[in-house]
Amino acid sequence: MIGLSLWLAAGCTPTDTAEPEVLFKVPANFPEPLYNFEANPITNDGFELGKALFYDPILSRDGSISCGECHSQPSGFTHHGHDLSHGIDNRKGTRNSLPVQNLAWESEFFWDGGVIDLDRVPIAPIENPVEMDEKGTNVLEKLRTSPRYPAMFKRAYGSEEITSAKFLKALSQFMLTLVSADSRYDKFVRNEGETLTPDESAGLTIFKQKCASCHAGELFTDRSYRNNGIAIQGDDEGRSRITANEADRNKFRVPSLRNVAVTGPYMHDGRFYTLDAVLDHYAEGVQDTPNLDLLLNQNGQRGIALTKDERRQVVAFLHTLTDDTFLKNRKFSQN
Amino acid sequence: MKKTFNYILGIVFASALVVACTNDNVDPIDNSTNAVTLEFDNRVGAQKMTLGTGTYKNGSGEEFTLTTFNYFISNVALKKADGTVVKFPEQYFLIRQADPKTWMSKLTDVPAADYTEISFLIGVDSTRSVAGVDKRTGVLDELSYGDDGMAWSWNSGYIFVKLEGTSPVVPLNSAGKRAFAMHIGGYKGTANNLRTVTLPLKTQATVRKSISPTVHLVADFLKVFDGPNTIKLAETNSVHNPAVAGPIADNYVKMFVVDHVHND
Repeated sequence: MIGLSLWLAAGCTPTDTAEPEVLFKVPANFPEPLYNFEANPITNDGFELGKALFYDPILSRDGSISCGECHSQPSGFTHHGHDLSHGIDNRKGTRNSLPVQNLAWESEFFWDGGVIDLDRVPIAPIENPVEMDEKGTNVLEKLRTSPRYPAMFKRAYGSEEITSAKFLKALSQFMLTLVSADSRYDKFVRNEGETLTPDESAGLTIFKQKCASCHAGELFTDRSYRNNGIAIQGDDEGRSRITANEADRNKFRVPSLRNVAVTGPYMHDGRFYTLDAVLDHYAEGVQDTPNLDLLLNQNGQRGIALTKDERRQVVAFLHTLTDDTFLKNRKFSQN
Repeated sequence: MKKTFNYILGIVFASALVVACTNDNVDPIDNSTNAVTLEFDNRVGAQKMTLGTGTYKNGSGEEFTLTTFNYFISNVALKKADGTVVKFPEQYFLIRQADPKTWMSKLTDVPAADYTEISFLIGVDSTRSVAGVDKRTGVLDELSYGDDGMAWSWNSGYIFVKLEGTSPVVPLNSAGKRAFAMHIGGYKGTANNLRTVTLPLKTQATVRKSISPTVHLVADFLKVFDGPNTIKLAETNSVHNPAVAGPIADNYVKMFVVDHVHND
């Protein structure tokens, strides 16, 4: 645990009086992270550089849109209220933007898992014509000729030279620090004096019985790809686009449910605007489409048996996953 | 054999330490290294390949012009006359028809020897295809391609071979053009389109301290359409999915021949 704690001032000597700020640490109720921190240790200057890049529209073709545009902190770093995210020239994307949180515990990214290294995640939105529509070559050139970045790269890496690897790793450093683990639920499971209401508590019990086989563990995802029986709308085939395996058609990533109350709308295309609509889908709306998940089609019964009361209780529990400390932490905000 | 060779190397090296430059033979196989230039001479049948202007015809009688032709070459290996193989896993090349500098790719640090066979991979091997950003430099830098876009950012993979052009047999697209595009990649599982080319060097490449050979390879683009598989532009004009690109990869693996070797 200690080894994974990366200290703000890496060069601090023991004689320094100020307590170094921990930029990344593994929460007590979390598993070990998957990201290789040895290849990219987080430093304060690397974090500041990554944060500056995350909020800088210089990454987009016409300087109009930053990462933070579609990954906004109060909405759990998603695009609040947008079923499909809007990119440059107000072009519409094909998928709902995913939260940027707890990424150190992920090894595959996006709704179809097409990218397998956090460091390379930013390339996709930068180059996507409906997102930032810019070429990496141009981004690096703009950074090299900007008044602020050469000095920031020097502080972070000891040299003004701006390379793809340094650029991408700085963005990772910022994204990795976005750890959400201080929700009421977390304080409850860590016995930090938090209690759940009877409805929330009942919701947690139902959740564990009926939802946690997919939304598993403290990250609330088993990191698999599944067809959860939403009606097929449009031509997004999901995971099979990456694996070229017909058995993966209509499958999408099981998302984490942390901060789920503020990251709506839901599903890969943002078709459900409320958590109630999501629960109604699982209880009453599961369709028998190709590759429907077996867990949603047992004993000839599609979906999950949930009474209206149980759905309400599950939704009450899901609200306990909202982490206001994280959503309001000024350290992560655009200055 | 290798042991003997190393032994000889050791003696040569030791004597070089004591008395430098005393060899009276000008071309010994010593412990020096030199470069081998791999010249990629892209042609279309019996014609020079020119982008944008040349009009060509494939075996199915379909006329076409080319606007882009790029490919990655990696994992070059040279076989010595004695059968041992020298590998160059760290040297990656991106051949771009639009950039004549890339037609002459320099394989460096080649040990002095007589080489009788060359092999290479068309594409970027699976290990490097999943490597971290520190290993993606030079031609593997995904943020360096500009409009050439030699990687899929949404699917974590390099585009091994990119060919684009126009043909009257291709239906009009939304931009009002009869354009075709084949982007071939895929390094894993059932959609593995990495292909290895192995070619004999009829004239041995004799790498010496004073000799830096050039292996002149000719790539006949027509093989993309007319290889073991017949690819018709009227039917196959938009390929962006590794799962369906196998037949094209099986064709272009046949496109290379060693035309000749210069030893100078």
